[in-house]
Amino acid sequence: MSDALIHETAEALSRSVASGERSAVEVTLAFLAQIERTAGRLGTYLHKNPEEALAMARAVDERRARGAILGPLAGLPVALKDNLCVRGVPTTCGSRILERYRPPYDAHVVERLRDADAVLIGKTNCDEFAMGSSTENSAYFPTRNPWDLTRVPGGSSGGSAATVAAREAPLALGSDTGGSIRQPAAFCGIVGLKPTYGAVSRYGLVAFASSLDQIGPLARNARDAALLYNAICGQDARDMTSRSEAKPVSLDALERGAGRLRIGVPWELLGEGVDPEIHAALDKALAVFAAEGAKILDVKLPHAGYAIATYYLIAPAEASSNLARYDGVRYGVRAENDDLQTMYAKTRGQGFGREVRRRILLGTYALSAGYYDAYYLRAQRVRTLIRRDFAHALTGADAILLPTTPTPAFRLGEKLDDPLAMYLNDIFSIPASLAGAPALSFPAGFSAGDLPIGLQVVGRPFEEETLLRLARGWELGSDVTAKIPPLLAEADS
Amino acid sequence: MSIDTELVRKVAALARLHIDPAEEPRFVAELQAILSYVEQLQGLDVTGIEPTSQVGTGVVTPLRPDEARPSLVREEALAQAPDRDGDYLRVPRVV
Repeated sequence: MSDALIHETAEALSRSVASGERSAVEVTLAFLAQIERTAGRLGTYLHKNPEEALAMARAVDERRARGAILGPLAGLPVALKDNLCVRGVPTTCGSRILERYRPPYDAHVVERLRDADAVLIGKTNCDEFAMGSSTENSAYFPTRNPWDLTRVPGGSSGGSAATVAAREAPLALGSDTGGSIRQPAAFCGIVGLKPTYGAVSRYGLVAFASSLDQIGPLARNARDAALLYNAICGQDARDMTSRSEAKPVSLDALERGAGRLRIGVPWELLGEGVDPEIHAALDKALAVFAAEGAKILDVKLPHAGYAIATYYLIAPAEASSNLARYDGVRYGVRAENDDLQTMYAKTRGQGFGREVRRRILLGTYALSAGYYDAYYLRAQRVRTLIRRDFAHALTGADAILLPTTPTPAFRLGEKLDDPLAMYLNDIFSIPASLAGAPALSFPAGFSAGDLPIGLQVVGRPFEEETLLRLARGWELGSDVTAKIPPLLAEADS
Repeated sequence: MSIDTELVRKVAALARLHIDPAEEPRFVAELQAILSYVEQLQGLDVTGIEPTSQVGTGVVTPLRPDEARPSLVREEALAQAPDRDGDYLRVPRVV
């Protein structure tokens, strides 16, 4: 039988550890036990950290015993996507090429988690180098959706989303380049926040597409997501894109819910291709927000339809440049060969999976002489148009509401042989990424088949609080009854 | 833009990426499909539109003084290398 504490909120758990009602060791043991129960079937972890986690929990308890005031994440296990560097702990990015890599340093967010007295419980599975929407591109094994093991958890932060949904960890960090936090959060029925570009330092995040990558929290509710966001946001000199405007949000302010916010809906984007059940969930959310006093209006994002094409030039171009560092010389695996150029090519050909190789080819092509202006530069100009659309829409509206995904979670294998179909699934998450805007997915009910449905809110730069207020507003105002994934009931029987 | 095996080989060579000949037809087909899709951008008028290379309004690249500071421990950094000789990374013979 699982320990009831795994169902409590992160906020309640940390408070109970800080007050001494529970020990950090007790909390950590409960989640480690849940990992033992379900992680094998879900494929959530690439590396589990039980000994180190318990040592960190003991250290937290000792600090409390000595009279120290504990940090805001006291004794809370936090799972980390495997593209975040933890000193001495395997960090593979779901790739063979980093199979033996153990970073000699901590990512900025990892330092911040340690400062907040969190417990690092393990490294979660992801699509190789965060390239994918299903976690099937992990070189090791796929992750499964806790609500239906025949379906994907989304991606690329699929392990982080699934582990939080399955109560294996109260909180997790993921990274989002075109939707990789929000889409798995939607598929797994949890909250996922992609902060504003520049809100969280990427120092120690393995780079994919540097003009888009952001680190953000995954949690089961809005307040817990805010708690984790507050621990990681803020400027850091080691990431020159990180900004001083990034400030913690007020948890008290979240209780205002939708209040008098103006919510824009880009109706003309929500035509064909959107599942009717997702449409219905959106209507219901609008009713909840309106009942709380929000004003609903129509907004236009005329260039959002070009977002996927823009993204699949910009992101692979940047990836092809960022991934040039994997050459079998300084770290990672090497395919031995007497000729240096052949060694590079074989190392990379064997070390990278199909999706990564496809994107390197696409990006190299888009940047190559003769095609740069027509592809990469043109995409960057269209990106400007998309950014302007958001800036304009967000003058009249405080936030934009739209689906996170056009459909609930799809089946494993369903889109694996058709990369373009996989890419098109990201139609609602990519526009905000290109705009650099903060965006959040919150769980907004279930399909008739009991699959989670996620809705997305997008806001102005550094107004994460508005998005978290809306997510909290939904929790306060909706009558959706809490469900737990059937896997958890099975695991207990 | 039409993609063929020759172009895939050329791009793979630029990227220092070995592609098995048996995999070439599939890469050709997939890249063709993706590039046909992104062709839609050619229909937009982007005359006079500045390219976005970095998001963030009024961002000035922050600079720091060029001073010696503690960095990674050499031994720890070198410990990750597939092949080394003392304090050097070893690679196949270049010349």
